[in-house]
Amino acid sequence: MIPGTRRILYALLAASVSLCVLFPAAAPGARDVAVELRKERGRLLEMKAREEKTAQELTEALRKEKRSKGRVGELQERLKRQRILLSGIDRKVSALNDRLEEAEKAVRALEAAHGQARTDLQRAEVVAFAGQRAGAGDPWRPSARERERHFMRVYLAADAEGVARITRARERKEAELSGLERQVAVTERKRTIEKKVGDTLLSSQEAERRRLADIEREKKRKEKELKSLRAKIARMESLVSRVERQVKERERRARKAEAGSAAGEPAEAPRRFASLSGGLSAPLAGKVVTRFGRQHDTTFDVTIENRGVEIDSSSGASVKSVGQGEVAFAGAVSGFGNVLIVQHGGGLFSVYGRLETFLVKQGDAVKKGTAVGRLAESPSGKSVLYLELRAGGTAIDPTSVIPLDR
Amino acid sequence: METIGRFLFFCLLGFAFLSLLLSGGASRFLAERYAVTAVLRADVPPAEAAGLARKVAALPPVRSAAFRDPEAAWKEFLRAYPGLDALRGADGNPMPGYIEIRFRPDRLTGSDVDVVTSALRTVPLVERILAGEEWLPRLLRAGRLASRVAWGIFGAFLAGFFVVGRLQERARAVALAGDFAFLAERGVPAGRLAFLRAAAAAVSGLLLAAAGTAAGGGALFLSLRNVPFLEGVIGPPSDLLLPRTVAAAVLFSCGAALLSAAASLLGSRAARTGRK
Repeated sequence: MIPGTRRILYALLAASVSLCVLFPAAAPGARDVAVELRKERGRLLEMKAREEKTAQELTEALRKEKRSKGRVGELQERLKRQRILLSGIDRKVSALNDRLEEAEKAVRALEAAHGQARTDLQRAEVVAFAGQRAGAGDPWRPSARERERHFMRVYLAADAEGVARITRARERKEAELSGLERQVAVTERKRTIEKKVGDTLLSSQEAERRRLADIEREKKRKEKELKSLRAKIARMESLVSRVERQVKERERRARKAEAGSAAGEPAEAPRRFASLSGGLSAPLAGKVVTRFGRQHDTTFDVTIENRGVEIDSSSGASVKSVGQGEVAFAGAVSGFGNVLIVQHGGGLFSVYGRLETFLVKQGDAVKKGTAVGRLAESPSGKSVLYLELRAGGTAIDPTSVIPLDR
Repeated sequence: METIGRFLFFCLLGFAFLSLLLSGGASRFLAERYAVTAVLRADVPPAEAAGLARKVAALPPVRSAAFRDPEAAWKEFLRAYPGLDALRGADGNPMPGYIEIRFRPDRLTGSDVDVVTSALRTVPLVERILAGEEWLPRLLRAGRLASRVAWGIFGAFLAGFFVVGRLQERARAVALAGDFAFLAERGVPAGRLAFLRAAAAAVSGLLLAAAGTAAGGGALFLSLRNVPFLEGVIGPPSDLLLPRTVAAAVLFSCGAALLSAAASLLGSRAARTGRK
């Protein structure tokens, strides 16, 4: 061993001993805070995952509600059309019944007229027969009698024609009547069928309304749950921030101790990703499909707060660290799958979600471009990476510091 | 008495002669009752029907042709069959109009009827012709028979007059045989006596026949004026004053004079020869 090096080691040892003497409770306290911070971060991620899941469930409930409302509206429209159709059929039936009544009246009148005409014809025939037998007219005027006999034939023929005419008219009316009766029967059958369809639609609409009410209840429950979760998250973030502050404080003290014991040169921690040593690079090649910040979903008419971005890439692609740092967390988080958090120092963190496998473990030091995980294999050939960057406890837009394809 | 009797007889004969002459036997009676009916189509306008009636009336055998509209036909029908009007109700009048065609008494023959009906059958306005096809020949035959019987009776009366006159002249000649013998002895020829007596009988016959026919004509005139039925059978009273009627009466009187003269001659001869 080099004597210089040995001297430095002795000096460091002496400084450590003196630090331990000066700050006897500081070392165990820092370990507790780090453990607590890791634990709280894990709980926070879990809660965020739960929030995400609840938000997704709420979105699903909204989608269902919208679909159900659409179905109710459609059913209402169909029901309205059905009612109009039924009303039209009712009007037609009413008109047909009126026509039927008129036709029946006409048939009755024609039957009465037919009976009267037949009676008249029979009486005329009796009169004609009696006239022939008794020698009607002046016997001294044979020409006049001949003419009167001819006129009697004309009269009887006219009467017979009248009876035949009434008979034909009655037959026509009866045919019309039976046609109308058939038409009424057909229309009644149609009306019954349409009424059944209407009833079915009504019951469907009722069922859909009940379902909608269930969805509404579910939605309210989810909203309440989401609100509660968000409150918890806020509290948790506050807690994490507090822990982060404690970490920073501990780092600051450590640096101060190092400055007091060693060379004493200032170690300025970066506060911004842009000033991170070595720069930043994209975790993988792909297109941003979900943007950062408040995004309004026109389909479900909701506003979603995105704390990161989603990058669409080929399935099974390797995910690389955006900068140098240390793996602070690697584990499963509900709603994000496998999540990996890299601490870049200076309060900078990068979060990688929806990973299939990890290529590093917690505590490993990584450099910019180090493969930290791999996306899941998908039959469609596409997978999505969730990327979140946090600076000083605040999520920032990754596209503002990393060149990503938008 | 004999003169009065002859006068009354000539009155009767004159009445009968003029009646037969004017009536044409049964012709006027039949012509008054027989008519051809041309039944028109239902859609013939009255003006066209009246025009057709006028054309028919202009045919030589036709005495009159009168158009009757459907209303008149209906009324006529109801007169024959009362009670049927109530049965028609609102159907109205089914009768067509018609033209009633009457013939001149002297042209009421089968051939003249055929001429008129044939002419009418070609007219499109006419639907049917009622001309008594079933009974017209029988009617005409009966009319001819009745006329012959009437003229036969009249002839029989004339023959009776002749026979009675001859018998009276014979009886008178027998009764005056002594006077005739006296005149024959004085040179008067028997033929001359017979001729003079025949001439006297003709003159008296002419005068009596003329007077009787005039009286009979007067009686007929009064009868025709007072009994309308007779006018329909015999004819109007004015026909008695027609020249042809007067000429016929004069001829009848002359005939009666000749008949009287003949009866006188034949009676005188029968008396001379002693025959019955």
